Amino acid sequence: MIYAEHLRKEFKKIVKEPGLKGSFKALFRPQKEIIAAADDISFHVPKGEILGFIGPNGAGKSTVIKMLTGILTPTSGECRINGKVPQDDRKNYVKEIGVVFGQRTQLWWDLPLTETYSVLKEIYEVSDEDFKTRMAFLNEVLELESFIRSPVRTLSLGQRMRADIAASMLHRPKVLFLDEPTIGLDVVVKDNIRQAIMKINKEEQTTVILTTHDISDIELLCDRIVMIDKGRNVYDGSLRELKAKYGQTREMHFEADPNAGLTPEKLLKGLGASDEHITVECDRNLFKVRFNSAEIPVAKMLNHTLSVTAVRDISVKDADIEEIIRCLYKEGADGDE
Amino acid sequence: MNKIRKQYLPFARAGIQTLIAYRMNFLGFVIGGLIYCFVMYYLWKAVFLSSGGSTFMGFSMTDMVLYLFLSNMTSQLTFSSVSTDIGEEIRDGSIVMRMIKPVNTDMSYLFTELGGAFMKLIVFGLPVILGLETYRFAVSGTVMFDPLNFLLYFVSASLAYLISFRVNLCFGFVAFYVKNLWGIGILKNSIIGFLSGTLIPLAFMPDILRIILEYMPFASMSYTPVMLYMGKYEPTEILLRISLQLVWAVLIYGLSKLIWAGAVKRLSVQGG
Repeated sequence: MIYAEHLRKEFKKIVKEPGLKGSFKALFRPQKEIIAAADDISFHVPKGEILGFIGPNGAGKSTVIKMLTGILTPTSGECRINGKVPQDDRKNYVKEIGVVFGQRTQLWWDLPLTETYSVLKEIYEVSDEDFKTRMAFLNEVLELESFIRSPVRTLSLGQRMRADIAASMLHRPKVLFLDEPTIGLDVVVKDNIRQAIMKINKEEQTTVILTTHDISDIELLCDRIVMIDKGRNVYDGSLRELKAKYGQTREMHFEADPNAGLTPEKLLKGLGASDEHITVECDRNLFKVRFNSAEIPVAKMLNHTLSVTAVRDISVKDADIEEIIRCLYKEGADGDE
Repeated sequence: MNKIRKQYLPFARAGIQTLIAYRMNFLGFVIGGLIYCFVMYYLWKAVFLSSGGSTFMGFSMTDMVLYLFLSNMTSQLTFSSVSTDIGEEIRDGSIVMRMIKPVNTDMSYLFTELGGAFMKLIVFGLPVILGLETYRFAVSGTVMFDPLNFLLYFVSASLAYLISFRVNLCFGFVAFYVKNLWGIGILKNSIIGFLSGTLIPLAFMPDILRIILEYMPFASMSYTPVMLYMGKYEPTEILLRISLQLVWAVLIYGLSKLIWAGAVKRLSVQGG
């Protein structure tokens, strides 16, 4: 369905020396530097899959998405979606895709939301009947009813994002590109949006490419992930494998009873774990313990902690995606040496 | 044709609705335009009074009033803000939202603006023409309104709009290279203001300069329709002027397409 082969995109950047003098220099004799925002990115996505496309900020995710959606022309390499090269005939190509850029909106800022949908209906040539059933469906999953008559500029971020997602799905696209669709949203709205993505994927076999920084987005939605960093592929596979390999770090937070007089040394004693698998930080009674759950099972860690001290509040968190990326990246850098 | 109507008319409708959403802005625009016309009127009145004669370079005072109001109105009607719009969208990257729609980028701009132009014609253009004709009637005592000239004006002003839109579109594409258009935008507006005869009628300029300017696309952007309305051209010249506008419209259309094809390849979207 989606093929990306050795995609590379270069940008020219004017390098400015610091200060006013540097600004003048850049004005008259700009020093240009070529930066590859994407460098040899390859992957493919079969029909009906939800792919998590992840990486740290500035990794080149958006650049790749923009090449796949026909906005940017790759410097070299090729992508093919649905058998079409996006840049060849942009107008026809985009009929089959839906796009959401979480930081932007495709809604008509000054008009009531319904107007945007009726404009999109005409642009994408959706029939009246289709439009009705589609709007009913989107209304149901994304709960647009309460604000559908308000001008877009008066909507809250959560409402706007739901409206934007609905706009991208209106014409039954075969491929959906979602670039950070849950950014800045609360849990309820996030859940709403995930439901919509899941439903449309299941019912219509829509292929979805999703970029996000939210690990639960990925856990709940994605069959597979592709991770990139500094414009290069670093991982391609299932989330489970990735977590099994890198995501075993857990973070335990607890508040010890002040009367117990717990210190990090006391906590570590009797656990029998080497230093590389566990670190303890403490701020008076608040403890933060990071440990490798492959070496020290979570249950063991909890039991041990509860046996050495009384606690007021305790929680264990999964490693977040940033942590995994950091791990992956560190490994890549070590491999270079 | 039907497809164009269905797909792009919503853009025009949205353009009108956006204009209405900012009523005060629009009102300010109308009132500001009128104040400017009156200032120019008193300026030229002073010129006429000091020249001593009843006509000045072939223009009577009535002609001059007509010219001032018509040319200002026409340049407002044919004014296209597409260069700032597209410049802004390139600068903040929101042009990507236009590019993910299955429509022609330039056509979507055109129709959004046509909606606004239509509103301006109704709310601003027609009252000004009505006022001018009342004035001419009061001064001369006869009805001077000529339906044929008005028709010619309408055709020519429409062409003028298309030229102005394409010129501004070309100019907007400069934003692909310089990223921020504000400074050169002001430069462009004053150059067009002068070269198109809005500031000073081209008829008042030295012959050589006038002939050159009359053949440039800028004259097609407001001078030609105004002269047609005022009935200043002989039939053969009418034909020449309108064909000249057509030629410019086609040439600039081609140029804008060419620039777009080149510019889109080097689009680098800022932010997000």
